[in-house]
Amino acid sequence: MRRTLNVIRLQLINRSTFLWTPAIVLGAAVAMSILVYVLIPSGEPKYGIAAGQAPLWVFLSIGISAMTLTFPFSQAISITRREFFLGTMAAAVLGSALMGGLFLIGGALEKATGGYGLNGWTFYLPWLWEAGPVGAFAVYFTLALFFFVMGFTGATVYKRWGAVTLTTAGVGLALVVIGLVFLATRLELWGQVGVGVAQLGAFGLALCGLAATVALMGVSFLMFRRTLP
Amino acid sequence: MTTVIDVQNLTKRYKDKLALDGVSLTIDENTIYGVLGRNGAGKTTLMSILTAQNFATSGDALVFGERPYENARVLSRICFVRESQKYPDESTPTHAFRAARLFFRNWDQEFAERLIDDFQLPMKTRIKKLSRGQLSAVGVIIGLASRAEITFFDEPYLGLDAVARQIFYDRLLEDYAEFPRTIILSSHLIDEVANLIEKVIVIDGGRILLDEDTDALRGRAANVIGDATKVEAWAQGREVIHRESLGRVTSVTVLGHLDAAERAAIAADGLDLAAVSLQQLVVRLTQNASSSASDTAATITEEVH
Repeated sequence: MRRTLNVIRLQLINRSTFLWTPAIVLGAAVAMSILVYVLIPSGEPKYGIAAGQAPLWVFLSIGISAMTLTFPFSQAISITRREFFLGTMAAAVLGSALMGGLFLIGGALEKATGGYGLNGWTFYLPWLWEAGPVGAFAVYFTLALFFFVMGFTGATVYKRWGAVTLTTAGVGLALVVIGLVFLATRLELWGQVGVGVAQLGAFGLALCGLAATVALMGVSFLMFRRTLP
Repeated sequence: MTTVIDVQNLTKRYKDKLALDGVSLTIDENTIYGVLGRNGAGKTTLMSILTAQNFATSGDALVFGERPYENARVLSRICFVRESQKYPDESTPTHAFRAARLFFRNWDQEFAERLIDDFQLPMKTRIKKLSRGQLSAVGVIIGLASRAEITFFDEPYLGLDAVARQIFYDRLLEDYAEFPRTIILSSHLIDEVANLIEKVIVIDGGRILLDEDTDALRGRAANVIGDATKVEAWAQGREVIHRESLGRVTSVTVLGHLDAAERAAIAADGLDLAAVSLQQLVVRLTQNASSSASDTAATITEEVH
């Protein structure tokens, strides 16, 4: 247990990785959104969704480098794979929670200032906040964690089975998604899907996403157990 | 002496290559071992399996009497910094040492700082910006300051200049004298480490060619040089592992201990007797093994035809 907690400390020794880099990317993206809001003369509400997703890609890349660089180092300093996996995922949960927190602060700020006085909204998106701050936090937290686990899992597949397998898996997943979209269209299920999503709300959807992320973590761990540094 | 590593019939097969071929050996506690062999001989694969970084195809490796895979009891007592060790993205030597300190209970920070001074390692530079030698120094410092009960060094000197290598050898010996532990060092610079290592393990083609005390090995071979006819006559019936001729002068390297009478006879014959360095001995033995392996292969081919 102590060693697993130390893995969290190991992941956070270089604070720029999990904390500063995503925060700076988010800050820069928000600054650019505000600039865009200034440039749009309309009085209508303006939603800068693009800015919110910028730090998520940072989480994807942290996930990849946790696997390709930090894992080999962890082997040199005699950490078991299980300790490394659990500690790393715990660090990712902390980092994602920080992102969720920043999202809440941003939302509160926008609400207080009427969208920076420009009616421009990056965080305070109506549908996300319908379930209150908890829903908004859950959505952003889950997204950040999901991107991290995707990066980590992708890198694990790449390390164990190579680029061709990774590409094949990616294409396979895309085909499954296309198949589901096709089925929904063919069976005219979109109406029901819409109702389902509306019923779940942001919070319910985030919980489903979190369940999927945890399942992906499980799959990831099974593959990771026999990966070479 | 207590055995800390026990390897039985260890085999590692990659897709098209047999990296380890039925390796069996034991490693004693508080001893410095040199693992010698050519590139691709299986040195790194062996060390990786012993530290559970890699997996054997068959056979067994016990460290402190237990399997090391996912075994924190065993792993917390060993340290293996690879020759091309990777470090976390954007990390500096400061980060790497702070992390190592979290996991090695015997970590000596003062010793680490002294080594940092010795190697003049820039602590605030990101590791990916360091030179090859400085990168090696990071690994060497982690290996030494961890004071792990079993420490593996896989060609730790790459890119280190002669002075830095000497610092490494000196600090290793000093610290080992004070804190005895098991050191397993793989190296190509055989003569440089010859005075350091107490036991020699030579691997070639995935097999153990030699596993002996360094001192016993020194007397195992001799070089006799002189008039070709006399040398050939003397070498008759002996196990010659190498032969070189230039005009009428021949030099043979023979296996076997020479007693005082034999030495006197060589001198009386007007022949010169020279010591065989550890490096020469390892090179000759390895060449001999690979040529006899290809001889066997040739014989088999002939038999098939």
